[in-house]
Formats: sequence, C-alpha cells, structure tokens
Amino acid sequence: MPRSVIGVTGGKGGTGKSFVATNLAVLLARRGLSLVLADLDVEAPNDHLLLGVERLENEEPIEVFFPFIDYGKCTACGACAKACDTGAIVMAKGRPPMVMPRLCSGCRACLMVCPYKAIAEDGARVMGYSYVTPVKLSGAGFTLVTGVLREGEEHTPPAIVAAKRRALRVAENADLLIVDTGAGTGNGISAALQETSLVIAVTEPTPMGLHDLAAILEITKGMGKRTWVVVNRSGLGPEDKHLELARKHGVERVFRIPFSKTAALAYARGVPLVDYDPHDPAAEALQGLAEEVYREVA
Amino acid sequence: MPVVRIAFATNKGGLDDTLADRFGRAPTFTIVEVDTDTGEVKKVEVIENPGYRAGSGAGVKAAQALGDHGAKVYVGPNPGPNATAALQYLGVKVIPLTGATVREALAKALEELKQQ
Repeated sequence: MPRSVIGVTGGKGGTGKSFVATNLAVLLARRGLSLVLADLDVEAPNDHLLLGVERLENEEPIEVFFPFIDYGKCTACGACAKACDTGAIVMAKGRPPMVMPRLCSGCRACLMVCPYKAIAEDGARVMGYSYVTPVKLSGAGFTLVTGVLREGEEHTPPAIVAAKRRALRVAENADLLIVDTGAGTGNGISAALQETSLVIAVTEPTPMGLHDLAAILEITKGMGKRTWVVVNRSGLGPEDKHLELARKHGVERVFRIPFSKTAALAYARGVPLVDYDPHDPAAEALQGLAEEVYREVA
Repeated sequence: MPVVRIAFATNKGGLDDTLADRFGRAPTFTIVEVDTDTGEVKKVEVIENPGYRAGSGAGVKAAQALGDHGAKVYVGPNPGPNATAALQYLGVKVIPLTGATVREALAKALEELKQQ
C-alpha cells in the first residue's frame, strides 16, 4: 500500500475534479512526494489531456469473469438465469441459455449456482484497458494510471476496481496515491474511494453543484471518510448553502478556488494552471490546498 | 398457427388499455390468446413486467417474461438492441406499433400475421 491515499470526487460532472486532481498532483510531485495519480473516470478519462500527455502507455486489458457455458453439461435447468441480477442470461424453455455480454457484470452468481458445473470457472472477457504512463514535468514527475471502459459497456465498477488495483500495485512504495473519480454517486464511485483516508469533494456555487454535493457528502459520510470540500469557480454564485451542507455533514475544511478566466484558458490548452500561470489567484488557491494536503500526508 | 399468444406492452393492462410508450419499462404486458383464423379471443391475461422496476437489463427481463408466458408475438414500441436479441433467441416475433388500444393493435397484428 502507498503511505497515503486521497480521493478527489464531487458528484456533479464538470465541477473541476480532474482540474483539482491534476494540479494537486503536479504541485505535490514538485514538493518532493513520490506520487501516483489514478484517473478512475473510466467512461471519460482525461487527466492525461489536462497534463499534456500525448499518449497513454503500458496498456493492459481489464478482464472480468464471463460465463462460457459447456453445452454438453448444461441441462437448461434455468438456475443461472434465475440467479442473474443484471438480466444478462435469457432462457427459452428446454434450450441452453443465451448470455448477453454487455449486461454481464462478472459477479459469478451463475457460476456458483450451476448444479452441473456447466460454466467454465476461468472464462473472461475484456471490458476495458488500463494504462501506466510516466508524466514528466520540469522539476519533478509522477505516474499516471488510467482506466478506460470499452464503449457500450453497461457496468463501470469492475473496470474501476481493476484500474484501481493496478494503481495500488504501481503505488506500492509511493508516498501518495491520488484517486480521481468520475461524476456521480454510484457503486463505482464508492469502490474508487474505498482505500482513501481523506476525500476532497469538488463542487461549484451553482444549484446543480449544491444538489450533487449533498449526494456525494451522504456517500463520504456513510463510508466514514474524512472529507474536505473545495468550492471551485468561487464567486460565481451564492455559497452559503454549500457551507451549511458541509457543516451538517461534518466536513473538516472548506477551500475556495476563485473563478478565473486564466484557469479556463490553461484547461483548454491542456496545461496545468499552476504551470500556465502560477500567480493566477486560482493557481495560488491550488497551491494553498496542496500545502494542506502535503501537511496531511508528509 | 391457429391459436397463438400475443403480448402487448401496456400500462394498466386489458383489451381497452392503450399501448405503453416503451418496452423494457412498460408497467404490464397484456397477453391475448387468440385464434388467428377466426380472430376469436380465447383468454386475456395481464402480467406485471419484471423490467418495470429493474435496476438494469430491463428489456432483457421483459423479454424473458414474454418467453416464460409462451408469447410468440409481441406488439408495442420497438425494443432496444439487447431486448431485440433476447426476443429473437426466444422466438418472439416483434410487430412495432404505438398509439393504439390493445383491441386496435390486436386487429392490426392479426392482419399482419395473415399476410405471412
């Protein structure tokens, strides 16, 4: 295990989770931490784009269990179809089942209930890919681990967990693993946050940001995670309800990153803001946040 | 095929109900056992759709329910790709139709079946 694992999440899409995670990674690597950043937004991973990384390296397939049926042993009893929670197994009377690959989450329930051992134990299919890419910066570097789900897949958690496991292996002797999650509050998000000891929830001063902050804080509270809130694009709208919500959910600290046109420009060009313009007020706020994270983990 | 079971995607169900606007998440299916030669309705059965409240795989669960109830024809809105594959495997013919009552849809289905 890495010495510390922190998560960056937030519920709403587009609040700046990846913006915060990538800039934190750059600053903390420069601060001397050996660091791995895991991009677990498997449906739309783009931390590499924000870091100016042109291509992901060291591809490995993400394999999940898949029931291959031995039609010589199958008696068409229907036990597997009854056990399948995702509707991936269809049965016509007296005929062997049909399995729909993209509905299968790889849970193995069918394997466990089949009385005739007609399902191969080691069947697998590829649902995505993970990558390990060195990120070179002036003055320091870190490792980016990226999980990518194949198009059309219906279940994100198995891919998120597989990419996270690879990140944990890569970060085995590292000081810090930063886990950047996708939007939402589904199973995949809590799976991504499992090992974290501190969660940074990024929100924005909009009604949508408020709504989704409430959802993600329920998750972090339910998981018993220490939580900080970052209000990104601060100044765009009222924040009082965000602060009240944070208080109610036992959030330890609240940080603000002021709204900055320069941040948007840096973002559009794929350059971390803290490199694009270290004196921009938003960059300075990120430096302040990074310093607090450094104190937590160093 | 003289007597056949035809499934309709419905809301509350029954011959006077209108067709539901989706397959996988339709609240009920109305299954009509009908003599395709005479048009005589032998039996009308309303079943709950297990896909209605399913977390995922609604279309496939709905298709499975039709297969389990012996339906050979489905009439209603177009099923999605997964459900279409499942219905094909289950040997359920799909007749796409919306905006009609079950009674009207049944008449159209019988017409279509006769042409084949």
